[in-house]
Amino acid sequence: MKAAYKLIEHTADIGIRVKSFSLPGLFKNAGLAITDLSFQKQTSQYPRKHNIVIRQKAANLEELFINWLNELLSVSAVEALVFEDIKIIQINDNFVDAIAIGSDIRNYKFSAEIKAATYHQLKVGKTGFLWQAEVIFDV
Amino acid sequence: MYEKIDDYRWRIPRSYKPGMRVPGLIYADEKLLKDIYQDKALEQVANVAFLPGIVNNSLAMPDIHWGYGFPIGGVAATDIEEGGVVSPGGVGFDINCGVRLLKTNLEYDDVKDKIKDLIYRLFSDVPAGVGSEGNIRVSPKEEKEILLRGARWAVEKGFGTNDDLECTEENGAMAGADPQAVSERAVQRGKTQSGTLGSGNHFLEVQVIDQLYDRDACDELKLNLGQITIMIHSGSRGLGYQVCEDYSRGMIASLAKFNIKVPDRQLACAPVSSSEGKAYLSAMKCAANYAWCNRQCLMHLTRKVFENFFGSSWQKLGMFLIYDVAHNIAKIEKHKVDGKEKDLCVHRKGATRAFGPGHPALPERYKRMGQPVIIPGDMGRNSYLLSGTERAMQETFGSACHGAGRLKSRTASAKSVTPDMLLKELGSKGIIVKASGRNTLVEEAPSAYKNVNDVVDVVHNAGIAKRVCRMRPLGVIKG
Repeated sequence: MKAAYKLIEHTADIGIRVKSFSLPGLFKNAGLAITDLSFQKQTSQYPRKHNIVIRQKAANLEELFINWLNELLSVSAVEALVFEDIKIIQINDNFVDAIAIGSDIRNYKFSAEIKAATYHQLKVGKTGFLWQAEVIFDV
Repeated sequence: MYEKIDDYRWRIPRSYKPGMRVPGLIYADEKLLKDIYQDKALEQVANVAFLPGIVNNSLAMPDIHWGYGFPIGGVAATDIEEGGVVSPGGVGFDINCGVRLLKTNLEYDDVKDKIKDLIYRLFSDVPAGVGSEGNIRVSPKEEKEILLRGARWAVEKGFGTNDDLECTEENGAMAGADPQAVSERAVQRGKTQSGTLGSGNHFLEVQVIDQLYDRDACDELKLNLGQITIMIHSGSRGLGYQVCEDYSRGMIASLAKFNIKVPDRQLACAPVSSSEGKAYLSAMKCAANYAWCNRQCLMHLTRKVFENFFGSSWQKLGMFLIYDVAHNIAKIEKHKVDGKEKDLCVHRKGATRAFGPGHPALPERYKRMGQPVIIPGDMGRNSYLLSGTERAMQETFGSACHGAGRLKSRTASAKSVTPDMLLKELGSKGIIVKASGRNTLVEEAPSAYKNVNDVVDVVHNAGIAKRVCRMRPLGVIKG
């Protein structure tokens, strides 16, 4: 599934801007942006698929957004999975419950290593009807 | 925003931003400062000055560029007795990213016609790239040993000698590491990555010495023009990223708990003497030890390749470690503040320790010349060996720059050159490059970096490190 995001210039790292008409859509787009930035699909020969439950809590929406992205990065590394799709089951400012649908990492070629999502210049919020987030990744 | 002190020093006064506890001090010349001013690095120098307990200055080395929280090339020391804090953002995700330099007794003529084969052999035998897994597999129990004992674990496995440990900052392991402070997730992320280079700006480079500066130091180190050296740049891989992420979460809560106000949440911190600060440092030391073990294993793999390639033992090839330095780390060190010796928590984020002659932390062999300071450049220009100075002890808590410093973003660099153009350009200079990913190659193009010669001129002329010799690359493997 193709992620919708734009790159933001940063001297050393990579920044992205994601938008959506809904909060679940915003979290999903940001999660899939990580996949798009990090991997290129090469093959489908490894059939292993694994659905991973991702649940995160935080004191506010911005912290939740960072915890969410870092959990996706961490689980992807440990489970050797690339998340091809994300289903948000429940979300509010302090809690997200989602299923990340992972494919065997061997189907992919790495294009960049994202170490983590950072708080630097982080923005998560709603303007009019549109949810928007900006985040800088350490690469 | 800043005012000139002398040709190599610039000050950001405290009045620039209410809340700055100390001024900013930038080491740069006018040429470098123009580039530095283009991004948000100087604003970050001012932000670091908000940290509770910070002493003297929020420092910026001439390779400074925009990071997250701290600038890359930033140094800050906090006074533990005065509530000084430790910030995971002042170390970064790649804890103890660092560099080591080996000498050989090979000369340029010995390798000039074989460099392509040698680089291809290194690329085949030294795991590189994102997600690369090493052949050095360890049990969970052994991994915890690595977290405690760092490079010593590798040496006891036969991957090096005690001499290597003597030539490694902290002898390859920081005391006070506590594996209990490291999450299971972090241990899992590290379990297959010992002895792997990683990606991004990490590399292994075969170089030749092309300029000698400090003849006495070169004689002491037995370094000569035309001599082959090897530089290895890597860090703590996924284990370090996870440690930083785990503790950054907790430090956000610490801001409210300790009523700390910083202008960027990536500067989240806690007093060094708090349980939060102590736990972070215990875990950070584990990641630092993992990184020293990693670079020791990478050096072992490199020695093996050279042994097979040249049909001689690494000892006969003279492949001895000159030094290994960390450039993303926080350390408790003694320094003088207003004439009084204090225990400080020194954050070096993209900065190298550069202790001067006679410092008790240095091995006997470097007591006279000062600590070797290893400064890699980009893959098309030079790298340097320098030595620490007494002036660095007085001004920068014994710190100097860590590299050339980025000038262009990764996307801008990738747009400006194709992999084929870059390989051709480097090839015309006699430099062979093998990279795991074509993206990495163009993102790391020489034009993406400041000229390391300009950066080193500043640290030398400012007196915070002294040029010993210069190397140029012959062949590079990149992640």
